[in-house]
Amino acid sequence: MTTAPTMLPASVADDPYAAVRRTSAVRFLYGLNPLAKMAAVLPALVLLVFVRDLATPVAFLALSYLVLLVGVSLSIRAAVLLALAIPGAIAVLGFGFALWTDAALVADTPPVLQIGAWTLYSGALEIGLATGLRLAAILALSLIPGLSTTGPDLVRACVQQLRVPYRIGYTALAAFRFVPRFGHELEIIRQAHRVRGAHRGRGPIASLRRWASYLVPLLAGAIRHAERVALAMDSRAFGAYPDRTERHLVPFRARDVVFIAAFWLASAALFALFFPWTLS
Amino acid sequence: MARSSVLTTRVLLTTAAIGVATGLLAGIAGWVTPFVLGIAPIFYGFVLGAHVLPGIIAQEVIRLPWVALLSHVFAALVASAMAPQWALRFLGTAILFGGIQELVAALTRYRVWDAWRFFISAVVIGILVAVVVAFAADLASLPLLAQIIYLIVAVLGPVAWTAAGLGIGVSLRRAGVARRA
Amino acid sequence: MTAPPDSAARSASVAPAPGETATPKPTHGREHARLLQLREVGITHEGEDAATPASVSFEVSRGDVVLLLGPSGSGKSTLSLAMNGLIPHAVPAALTGRVEVAGMDAATHSVAQLSTQVGIVFQDPDAQLVTGTLLDEVAFGPENLRLPAAEVLARAESALRRVGLWERRSENPDRLSGGGRQRLAIACALAMGSPLLVLDEPTANLDPRGIDDVYAALDELAASGDKGIVLIEHNLDAAAPFVNRVVVLDAAGVVIADGAVDEILRGRAAELHDLGVWLPTSTLAALRLREAGYRFDTLPISPDELRAALDRQSAPAATREAGAGAGAATETRVSASGTRIEVRGLTLRRKKTEVLTDVSLEVRDGDFLAIVGANGAGKTTLIQALAGVLTPPRGTVRIDGLDVARLDDRALSTHVGFVFQNPEHQFIAASVFDEIAHGLRRQHLDEAEIERRTLDLLDRFGLRGRAHVHPFLLSGGQKRRLSVGTALVAGARVLVLDEPTFGQDRARADELLGLLRDLNREGTTIIVVTHDMQLVAEYADRVAVMESGRLTACGAPGEVFADAELIARAGLRVPPLARALAPLATHPELRTVTRVGDLPGGGS
Ligand SMILES: Nc1ncnc2c1ncn2[C@@H]1O[C@H](COP(=O)(O)OP(=O)(O)OP(=O)(O)O)[C@@H](O)[C@H]1O
Ligand SMILES: Nc1ncnc2c1ncn2[C@@H]1O[C@H](COP(=O)(O)OP(=O)(O)OP(=O)(O)O)[C@@H](O)[C@H]1O
Ligand SMILES: [Mg+2]
Ligand SMILES: [Mg+2]
Repeated sequence: MTTAPTMLPASVADDPYAAVRRTSAVRFLYGLNPLAKMAAVLPALVLLVFVRDLATPVAFLALSYLVLLVGVSLSIRAAVLLALAIPGAIAVLGFGFALWTDAALVADTPPVLQIGAWTLYSGALEIGLATGLRLAAILALSLIPGLSTTGPDLVRACVQQLRVPYRIGYTALAAFRFVPRFGHELEIIRQAHRVRGAHRGRGPIASLRRWASYLVPLLAGAIRHAERVALAMDSRAFGAYPDRTERHLVPFRARDVVFIAAFWLASAALFALFFPWTLS
Repeated sequence: MARSSVLTTRVLLTTAAIGVATGLLAGIAGWVTPFVLGIAPIFYGFVLGAHVLPGIIAQEVIRLPWVALLSHVFAALVASAMAPQWALRFLGTAILFGGIQELVAALTRYRVWDAWRFFISAVVIGILVAVVVAFAADLASLPLLAQIIYLIVAVLGPVAWTAAGLGIGVSLRRAGVARRA
Repeated sequence: MTAPPDSAARSASVAPAPGETATPKPTHGREHARLLQLREVGITHEGEDAATPASVSFEVSRGDVVLLLGPSGSGKSTLSLAMNGLIPHAVPAALTGRVEVAGMDAATHSVAQLSTQVGIVFQDPDAQLVTGTLLDEVAFGPENLRLPAAEVLARAESALRRVGLWERRSENPDRLSGGGRQRLAIACALAMGSPLLVLDEPTANLDPRGIDDVYAALDELAASGDKGIVLIEHNLDAAAPFVNRVVVLDAAGVVIADGAVDEILRGRAAELHDLGVWLPTSTLAALRLREAGYRFDTLPISPDELRAALDRQSAPAATREAGAGAGAATETRVSASGTRIEVRGLTLRRKKTEVLTDVSLEVRDGDFLAIVGANGAGKTTLIQALAGVLTPPRGTVRIDGLDVARLDDRALSTHVGFVFQNPEHQFIAASVFDEIAHGLRRQHLDEAEIERRTLDLLDRFGLRGRAHVHPFLLSGGQKRRLSVGTALVAGARVLVLDEPTFGQDRARADELLGLLRDLNREGTTIIVVTHDMQLVAEYADRVAVMESGRLTACGAPGEVFADAELIARAGLRVPPLARALAPLATHPELRTVTRVGDLPGGGS
């Protein structure tokens, strides 16, 4: 009678409601409370902002990859993110920031590359790389809750543990339904405006104006749709009582506490190990 | 339940719709971010400034307490689904930006809705963003000129986006979408 | 702002403890059989001057299936919102008179309390979805009532079973067809346990198969006799067989008729027709035939009744020639001279799936072509490729001899105009005038010329008086006319429209189609996508049938609708008039008539 997750059909890729499949017990991240996953990574995330060296972000990258590779079953998209996007981002960011670094700060380090009057110092590369690695580490940490949590579960956890009013929570659930609809509308509006020959021209200013002109019809349609959904929800007694029957429980269990504690400990250990976190 | 006397289902869902529509754009901004950071970090403030939109449009269209914060949170939830790597950042900026916009509106007791009021929150947001990003991106290592440009862009970004948001809000009013509020 | 549906005081005193069942306690036991009572109800929307509806009184009891009729704007939808308290609790509007639901005064009870007595189903199935699976969706209402989980599941199961969706309970509602989603909305209303069901144009957005699905589900409910149903519907061909009472509002929203189907639809058909209310096609046809001398003791409602009535009599002598004359009149349309659009072996992919497969089609000058087919058959994709909205592969689509794939937007707009399903998507200016003028400014004409031509066009489309209004503030019908104007202003001789009557009532649809027919008679080639088969029969001179990406038939409506196997396979339906007349045993003069306008009797 109840819907066991196994009864679900293979979930559509872009179905935000599709229950996350738990393929095996090893993929432990799916079994954790979304809030626990967020709480676990948050301190490290904030502290990383103030880190300047190379080793600390590398250590946190390694920790995140370890947790992710064990804890989630990788979709193609996630695999691309981990295997290509993050390393790529480190390289691009590292090199980009190196170019922007003030040469006066690093003029005493050995030069790596010289084009005419311009010199790329190894010190600049180091600073750039540190920045790239740091941002990548922040990103990888965010993926721990990001890749293993569905939006609806996060919303439910907020309602059940954080005592967010359920009317707001369920509005958020309804909002997930808006996403594909508005995305589709946006595509049609773009087509329609193109056919009308509106806002031609190239360049960032023209494209900004173009996007702004899409926003008004998009928002007008969106708000009308929202008002209709609100009527439909009200007529099904939405908000009748201070609480409502909840069939999908997102529990906060001992394992969540264990995970938070373990992650905090690991973070503390890494930070302690690599202190001070500045470039030599 | 004093709150629910203002936040009817209809108001809630309207803020959600504004959040989602602008969140779609923020999701795109999320994918653009690494490139901007990689190629021209000093313009990052401009990209980040785009995140003021949900609150501005919501306040301009609905003019009630809480709508700015809520629309920000809904926008962040949706944008996170599109770019999960930025999930925490989206939520963080949402609460920060929405909080500031709410605070400024609360200080005028939700009575004054002139344009200047929106620009005050824009400047506050700009300065705050400038400081936080300066740490994350280690801007101290950039040449002085770049730092100055960065600071100006970081403050002007939210201001420019606020102006854009107000323009959109006014167009929506003219299109009869918000006439009852 | 009006008071919220739930005040803190009430939820504190009435709310059962969590876990306790929130069964409504009807206070007046004897009145319980009367599900709904309206007494002189008048409703004024905020910002409007007049009340529409102005004054409505009627009652609904168990077993009643009431059809609520009235011209567009008479306040039917507004009234339906008052039936469960959304007006005045959630929508800003002033209500006079009294709405009583199972003995409860709607003005003093919250929407939530009333929701246990009245379920409501709206027009747009997508606007009624909140959660991620069918089961969660149906459970949403009972959960809001704080019913225990076991009871929620029991109700959800029985509701889903009643509409035949129990097997699909764990799917995402997005994967249902439009008809399926609308049945889901009915299940959601049923799960609230309410004995009264209100449906506002539940089938307006559906293809023929979806409409049949919904009515099959409703039929079963009505047959059980334990519910009361109020149905607002423009498509009377589908609705009439299943209702047992009719209430009619006039344009101001005053009840002018209330009685059994026979008494109203058959007995006062002519009066309703004059009021502008739509009638079943068979009734309309009979009214017309009656003027030509045919005899109908009682007017028919269904095609079967019309056929039976005709088979019982012989044709009045005077009309035999008239019938033949009408048949000939259909041939005197603009004769096709040259080829406007030529499609050769068009195959198109969208996101890796082949959406169009080897489509070949020729559209001649002056054609009025209708494209029909089930949801997802590829109709929209086809016409978008024809009009260059999507770029087709080179050499596959030619318009006036030019390859669409190589034309730029501006050149394209002088050859073909495209009207999207939702006109609002196309509006780019802040006034009606600028909206039309935009197309001319692109051609760099001088201002005086632009103004002259714009005002001419606004005159033609009856929009001159609204020239300086924001396009979004027009009525639905006006918006549609404006979007047709914007498509034509650049001088296009071909007009392509995607479901131009989508979500509109029949009166507005008729107004638009009249305009299209006039344009067509003046030589504009028209291509429409539609789900309305009688519309095809009335207006189109050619029909193309799409089936999963392939064009499987193209020809005169008469020929295409005669192919029963094709119609069934493509998920279409024979238009009601042809369904009545084609199998006639007698009256050869009527057998081939498919348009109401071609029947003898229009006379003057
Ligand atoms: N939200 C609203 N605000 C202001 N006026 C409204 C609103 N909704 C409807 N009206 C007006 O109320 C009147 C009745 O509209 P309603 O939609 O109830 O008519 P209807 O009989 O359902 O028409 P249709 O057959 O076209 O659906 C119309 O004049 C309409 O313009
Ligand atoms: N932008 C898109 N990307 C991918 N697939 C699409 C897109 N648009 C439509 N399709 C798919 O192409 C097929 C044909 O769609 P199309 O909209 O042309 O059908 P239709 O006949 O117009 O249907 P309806 O009657 O529902 O409007 C469908 O299966 C649809 O899912
Ligand atoms: Mg209506
Ligand atoms: Mg279509």
